[in-house]
Amino acid sequence: MQNVLVVDDELDVRDAIKRVLDRAGYFVRTTSDAADALAELRRCHADVVITDIIMPKINGVEAIDSIRKEFPAVRIIAISGGGNFGITAYQPAAITTTAYLAAASRAGAHLVLTKPFESKDLIQAVEQVLGVGHA
Amino acid sequence: MARLRTSFANVVAACVVALHLVLLPALYYGLGYVVRKSHEDMFIEHARTFARVLADEFELGVALESDSRTEDLLDLAIVHGDGRYAELTDGGRSVRSKLGSPNIETPRRTDLTFEEGDDDIYFVVLPIVHAGHSAELRLGFDEQPTLERIHLALNRMLMALTVYFGVAMVIAIVLSRRLSRPIHRLQDVSRSIASGDYAQPLHVATGIRELHELAADLEDMRRELVGVNDRLQAKIKEKEISEIQREELQKLLRHRQRLETVGTLAGGIAHEFNNVLVPIILFTDTALQDLPASSASRADLERVLAAAQRAKDVVKKILTFSRELGDAKLALVDLRAVIAEGLNLFSALASPSIEIRTEIAETIAPVRADATLAVHLVINLCTNAYQAMQGTQGVLTVGLRNLPNSSLAGETRARVEFWVSDTGHGMDLETAERIFEPFFTTRSVGVGTGLGLSVVHGIVESFGATIVVETAPGKGSTFRIYFPAVLREEWPTESMAPVA
Repeated sequence: MQNVLVVDDELDVRDAIKRVLDRAGYFVRTTSDAADALAELRRCHADVVITDIIMPKINGVEAIDSIRKEFPAVRIIAISGGGNFGITAYQPAAITTTAYLAAASRAGAHLVLTKPFESKDLIQAVEQVLGVGHA
Repeated sequence: MARLRTSFANVVAACVVALHLVLLPALYYGLGYVVRKSHEDMFIEHARTFARVLADEFELGVALESDSRTEDLLDLAIVHGDGRYAELTDGGRSVRSKLGSPNIETPRRTDLTFEEGDDDIYFVVLPIVHAGHSAELRLGFDEQPTLERIHLALNRMLMALTVYFGVAMVIAIVLSRRLSRPIHRLQDVSRSIASGDYAQPLHVATGIRELHELAADLEDMRRELVGVNDRLQAKIKEKEISEIQREELQKLLRHRQRLETVGTLAGGIAHEFNNVLVPIILFTDTALQDLPASSASRADLERVLAAAQRAKDVVKKILTFSRELGDAKLALVDLRAVIAEGLNLFSALASPSIEIRTEIAETIAPVRADATLAVHLVINLCTNAYQAMQGTQGVLTVGLRNLPNSSLAGETRARVEFWVSDTGHGMDLETAERIFEPFFTTRSVGVGTGLGLSVVHGIVESFGATIVVETAPGKGSTFRIYFPAVLREEWPTESMAPVA
């Protein structure tokens, strides 16, 4: 059974992802922030990490960077629903979803997924990064 | 003390009068002396000649022989020689013409100059020697007719000089008027210039070279003033227009910033919604899988999914509104217009201590981009450059040129290069490598900085363009963006997108 670690600050999001992947036959663990995720990875190996990007303390891009350095074999899926930090920030025609996910790709994410997604999109994404079904 | 001022005409008239008051009496007395002297000399010459001729006649001796002959000759002197007195003494004999003035008693022997004594008579005494006679001829000539001629001549001269003086005065007045006319004209025009009326050209008709040249110089000055005035007026107008443009731009910018604030807010809400939709969709999905096919709740859950899908669509619309999706609408864009618009907006914000230079080529190949995003790209790069130079007198250069054969990442093709360089603090290599990362300067959530250049990067990527940075600490930075040029044969099918 393959291990998946879900990192998201929203309880409902990570539980929902866990539920879908549990049923798809993966062993799923969840953490609410990147620091915990790194600790969890050190404690126990994971094949796939699904991480949100906009999170408190350590953001997803930094988390991906750290995971790629420490655990190069781990496959990473970045998920983001877009949006901004602080509403007063000057972000002209903010293309933040694209920017965040592009940043995640550059940091080493193998696949990026825009929230919200359906169960089949999620399962397909995990299979894709693990090289199951799709090449 | 107030100085007495008089007109030019008066000065000329006064000068003429003063000159004549000095010259005319001298002339009068000088000429008078000559006239008088010549008359006197003529009179004396005539008297002496006449007396000599008479004396010669007596010396022939014929006249001396009888008193009547002597008297006849003496009468001749009275009648023909303007004589008043004629007498011959010969020893004890004395013959006197009865035609002379009877009251003249004793002729003076010493009266040898004109007007001597007060008797108006000029006396001549001549000795006559003839055959033992020792006679003396005494003649008295009347000075009166000569005196009258002298007075007449002097009076005529005085009249002539008076007429001359009058004519000279008239000529002086006329001349001074003619002289002062162009001066008055110059005065009028200089007064109207002083009162702000520059329109009147200065044409002064005068034959006097100095006045003509003065008028020409004044006309040059007037033209120069008109030119300066026109230039000043144009500058004021330009300033007014640029002030209006500035206000309009600031209004536009405020409007855009408001839109962006709304967009940013909408983006935040969309983010929250997307996170909420994830558990709704996923949990409903799994619940549906758990339920038997006959369950009555299946239809309800399918409706939940459909509703969630609708909510997703709504969020998508919100994101579209706030351009959150970042799906740039690519069209053919003229980067010259984009840069002009971007610089317009930017310069309304930038401090005047920054000098903005442009090096933009005349013709630039079109590129595929989203015009609005491209304008933001320009503003973001300029703002970044401006911030790098804050507190200094920096130079910001914006450039644009065609690169017909640009090699980049192993591909050679026609590109358009757009660059923004600053004379700011620059960056070290480590910093330069990470500046496009969205969270490079943002260490904690809630601090919205450090996204400017990542947004730039995102926009550049969405255009299929490439951005590179050249920088060194203390040497300023240059950001170069290479757009793939759209070749001429590719663009007739697409129309140029207007700049937002």
